[in-house]
Amino acid sequence: MTDSPARIPGERAAMIWGVLATILVVAATIGVFLVAPEDADQGVIQRIFYFHVAIAITSLVAFAVSCVAGILYLRTRNDRWDDVGEASIRIGLLMSVLVVITGSIWAKASWGTWWVWSDPRLVTYLIVVLIYAAYFVLRSSAEDDRKMRYSAIYAIAGFASVPLSFYSVRVAESFVHPVVFTGSGANMPDSMLIWFVVSQAAMLALFIALLELDLVGRRSERALRRLALRLENA
Amino acid sequence: MSGGAQYVVAAYAVIWFLLLAYVVVLGARSARVGRQVEAISRMLDRREQKDVEPDPAEDRA
Repeated sequence: MTDSPARIPGERAAMIWGVLATILVVAATIGVFLVAPEDADQGVIQRIFYFHVAIAITSLVAFAVSCVAGILYLRTRNDRWDDVGEASIRIGLLMSVLVVITGSIWAKASWGTWWVWSDPRLVTYLIVVLIYAAYFVLRSSAEDDRKMRYSAIYAIAGFASVPLSFYSVRVAESFVHPVVFTGSGANMPDSMLIWFVVSQAAMLALFIALLELDLVGRRSERALRRLALRLENA
Repeated sequence: MSGGAQYVVAAYAVIWFLLLAYVVVLGARSARVGRQVEAISRMLDRREQKDVEPDPAEDRA
């Protein structure tokens, strides 16, 4: 009888979240394209909304996770939190880029222009993207403990830009970007809201799956480096 | 395509392409780790073989 290979911590979680994300993404895609009613005002273009907004909210969640991981790293000095912070920002940035691109496509279809510089939501969101892109420049400029410490502080400070983007459209006087979710609830019928909720769940599950997969990869690489070092010294 | 359907297709194509590209990057890293495990395994096999095979110089003595 042979021993089964030891599991890397998080491997099972990555698999479970991956399966869940796949099921939810397929369900959301079917719902958005085949079940959800067509918007009376925007027509088929409105179908961009479901994934565009879900990805935008998930990107902000990813940045919130990196902020919490930064605080935990500074308190514990555990490398694991540095890994969580960096992976979260990497995935959050990928999703932010998707939000900017899909938003531009929607803007072109809806307003006839790719970008509106006078709109506070668009500009503040772009600032958030640039702030988090600079995180990787900072990481590449320092080494070891200093890199992790600076990254944690930057992730915490950078998160201040997130509420700025979120509330900008609510406090600004003039804007073209619509606000769907207000204090009094969602500005859409339940038949659309249900598919937005499924899309949001799908994107959150996808974020957790990608995060777990990234962390498993990092743990594997670290374990391999330790093993190679021990073999060289043996 | 009419009524802006091409924009919807473009938006979702970008989403799927970038997400898939990210998963491929993670997969490539996993494959690299696999290759390194293979290399370490071969190195261990060679070491074990060396330990089992008698030294020809010792045999002559």
